[in-house]
Amino acid sequence: MAKSLVKTERKQGFHFLFPLEIPLASATMPTSASVSAATSASRPSTDLVARLGSSDREVQLKALRDVKNQIIGNRTKKLTYIKLGAVPAVASVLSDAIDGSVCGSSDLLVQSAATLGSFACGVDAGVRAVLDAGALPYLVRLLSSSDEKVIDSGARSLKMVYQSKLAPKYDVLQKSNMEFLCSLLNSENENANGLGASIITNSCKTSAEQKALCDNGVLTKLIDFLDGSMIQREASLESLASIMNENGEVTSLFVEYERGQALGLLVKLTNERSARTRLLACECLIIISNVSSRYLKWKGIETKLISYLLELLEEPGHIGDEASFALSNYIEDKEDLQKLACDANAIDVLCTHLQNQLLQPKRFEGILLALANICSRLEICRAKLLHMQEFNSINDALHHDCADVRAAACICLRSVSRSVQNLSAGFFMNEKIVMPVLQLLHDPSLTVQLAALRAIGNIVVDFRTHKSRFMKWGGVKQLIQLSMSMNSAIRLNSLWALKNLTFEADNQCKERVFRELTASSLASLICDPEPCVQEQALALVRNLIDGSLDSIEYVFVEGSIILNAIGRHLERASTAECKVQGMYVLSNIASGSEIHKDSLMELLFQDRENGDPLYILNFLQSNDSHLRTASVWVIVNLTNPSCLGASGRTVKLRNAGVISQLKNMVNDPCLDVKLRVRTVLGQCMTFGE
Amino acid sequence: MPVRVVDSSAPSQVSGGNSGSTCPQPCTLLSVGQAFSGTQNVSNVQKDEAWRVNVRIQGCDLDHGYLCGTMEALNVPMADTPVITFWEGEIVDTKNHTFFTGKWEATLEDDIRHWSKFPSFSPLQSQVEADGGKSLDLSNYPYIFMRWKELYFVNVGTDCGLTIAGFYYVCFSCSDGSINGFYYDPNSSPFQKLELKSTNEGRSGFSFSSYQLQ
Repeated sequence: MAKSLVKTERKQGFHFLFPLEIPLASATMPTSASVSAATSASRPSTDLVARLGSSDREVQLKALRDVKNQIIGNRTKKLTYIKLGAVPAVASVLSDAIDGSVCGSSDLLVQSAATLGSFACGVDAGVRAVLDAGALPYLVRLLSSSDEKVIDSGARSLKMVYQSKLAPKYDVLQKSNMEFLCSLLNSENENANGLGASIITNSCKTSAEQKALCDNGVLTKLIDFLDGSMIQREASLESLASIMNENGEVTSLFVEYERGQALGLLVKLTNERSARTRLLACECLIIISNVSSRYLKWKGIETKLISYLLELLEEPGHIGDEASFALSNYIEDKEDLQKLACDANAIDVLCTHLQNQLLQPKRFEGILLALANICSRLEICRAKLLHMQEFNSINDALHHDCADVRAAACICLRSVSRSVQNLSAGFFMNEKIVMPVLQLLHDPSLTVQLAALRAIGNIVVDFRTHKSRFMKWGGVKQLIQLSMSMNSAIRLNSLWALKNLTFEADNQCKERVFRELTASSLASLICDPEPCVQEQALALVRNLIDGSLDSIEYVFVEGSIILNAIGRHLERASTAECKVQGMYVLSNIASGSEIHKDSLMELLFQDRENGDPLYILNFLQSNDSHLRTASVWVIVNLTNPSCLGASGRTVKLRNAGVISQLKNMVNDPCLDVKLRVRTVLGQCMTFGE
Repeated sequence: MPVRVVDSSAPSQVSGGNSGSTCPQPCTLLSVGQAFSGTQNVSNVQKDEAWRVNVRIQGCDLDHGYLCGTMEALNVPMADTPVITFWEGEIVDTKNHTFFTGKWEATLEDDIRHWSKFPSFSPLQSQVEADGGKSLDLSNYPYIFMRWKELYFVNVGTDCGLTIAGFYYVCFSCSDGSINGFYYDPNSSPFQKLELKSTNEGRSGFSFSSYQLQ
């Protein structure tokens, strides 16, 4: 962008309501003579596009007005005109008018800029076309005009562009850019102010950028706008959200500004008449709350904010849609706020909206996500939702045409299926719930697939004897297929589900999983390139060999392919979590027969001729108490004095330095480790150690 | 090589400078999937009687002082099948739950009378009587105190002739996984004693499985 030459003349009574797309009054009032022509030209035509290139200024002007009036608020017509090449033609009119090749071109400047802004408003293809036509620098040049109408038109159109994610990143760290931005904010033209704020919203992402804007007085300016016109207020609220997002320093500056005056203004805006202002103020407060919840507690509006957002849900269109997403964002991962939302009847209110048969996909998605977040931590919330009739709507949403709604329904189901009480009662393992989720495992959308997999992962925990139903419905087969996916997230989550399925499962279920997955595949998954997949594969083996003694044999089939894979893995395991799971597998093997214990000893001591220390010795010295615990359990089981070979194994472990390491751990800070170490040492004493 | 064992298991009082957690630490013997078996003595003045009991842990959330699982009573008179109930437990962690029950018709006196039946409670008693044990540091104490409340019958109807109106005062030993408890219900025989031991289910050692909810 060019350096600022923005005029700071007093505005001349021009008022536009951002971001509504409205035609200029002078342009939208057809004269009586032009009514029939406008009607005949109400369909997109190549002829009209051709007239944009006319050498007759009046013809050009009329063509611009016709195009603009046709495309306003009409996405289909915008796309049609873009295909007809209208955008480069309009950009050309603008550039010619700016270059002064057309006399008396003020109207052309205003009309061409406004038309480009209309193309960019709410349609990404339009923004792309405006950018591709090279119109951006020309629109910026309009800001230097001496004509207030031209400035307004340029600023509004640029704002449309900067409201899109496709807009080029504006580097505020560059001195000249910062100066230009400040000049926009300092301008007395409200539309220039609005543009400046939009640029901040679009381009301020890093903490360095947030700090730079603060250091250049932008925060103070934006705070001033909170008390300004509606355009200034709304632009300011959006920018404040960007400038404070996840930035404790800037947020603290805002909150403490003039002893809380700015925060007070912000809170006041949550009661404004304009629903959009109220929503933006709420969103800004959520940003502040996400940095530190004490700021909202301080103002005593934690609960009020939930009520405001629930009220905004009643608004039609974008505002109501956004309110549910804002509520989700506010309460996500915050148990205290989830409880407040539940107490504020948020579940009832959200469910009432679910009764609306004509719910738009965006609204449906937002409501499902808000319900998912409220129910993510607290049983009391889950119980409330599960007992409501509208729970069926969540199930119905699994069949929705829109992928985002299907994914949100899965996320909601995942959230409520965290209820151990209901899992124990077998509540979720019924055909009506499971079958549609199983179908979504093959959804064309990867997001939906993953969300469905995660929901299934919870549902299969089912503690009752219903796991056979899941097998009957083909669930095991599908999960095993997905565990071979090229996508690591799919592999991870399908293994996670198989692990949960085999928790406390009967022999028939485990046998089915093992037979269909095969030992060699399981061994490959233990060696997967992704550590999180390795961890789940190891945890699956751990569950498979728990329970009946015979199940330990799974690790010894096909020449101990699984056991050897685990042994190699533990030698070089990448993460502590993998090592923990690996050591619990060894512990479960060590709880088996003499043969199992001796085979494990062989594995632990294999390739130790060169005198390298055992890896279990390193694990016992780990900083991770879970790893130390799992490792000590292996030794507890190997030295169980009720087994014949325990004495010999104890001698071998002592010679390898394991027992003396344990003696160093009798006062381990982890109580679990300390007690297990004492168990081992007590067992060793029975062998005279 | 003899090693001096420093026993720091006696619970301490929380000092002002203690910034660590005072809640009981996780114990693998009290984790999901762990099973226990033993008896519940249901004797009354007319008859000596005990049921065989199996318990399995299904959920454990130390952050919320929460535990849950099933309890299976095997040789229950008048019942054709073993009777299984689902229960939820409150872990006395001084954060989510204290030694004072405050519900289920249990008075402070009932609480103290039951807790004091556990020998491991005696070092805590005076502090509990003073403030419910709120100032106790239980993070290194090798016993975990809980209340288990049965919520519903899993495999029989409510007309099975048994009641789940009461709840259990429970003490778990982190050292060996043994569980002692006393059933409290003003309308049932007092001090029905529950005695359980950690089971290996035919193994010569301890085996551990796990699940994780997403």
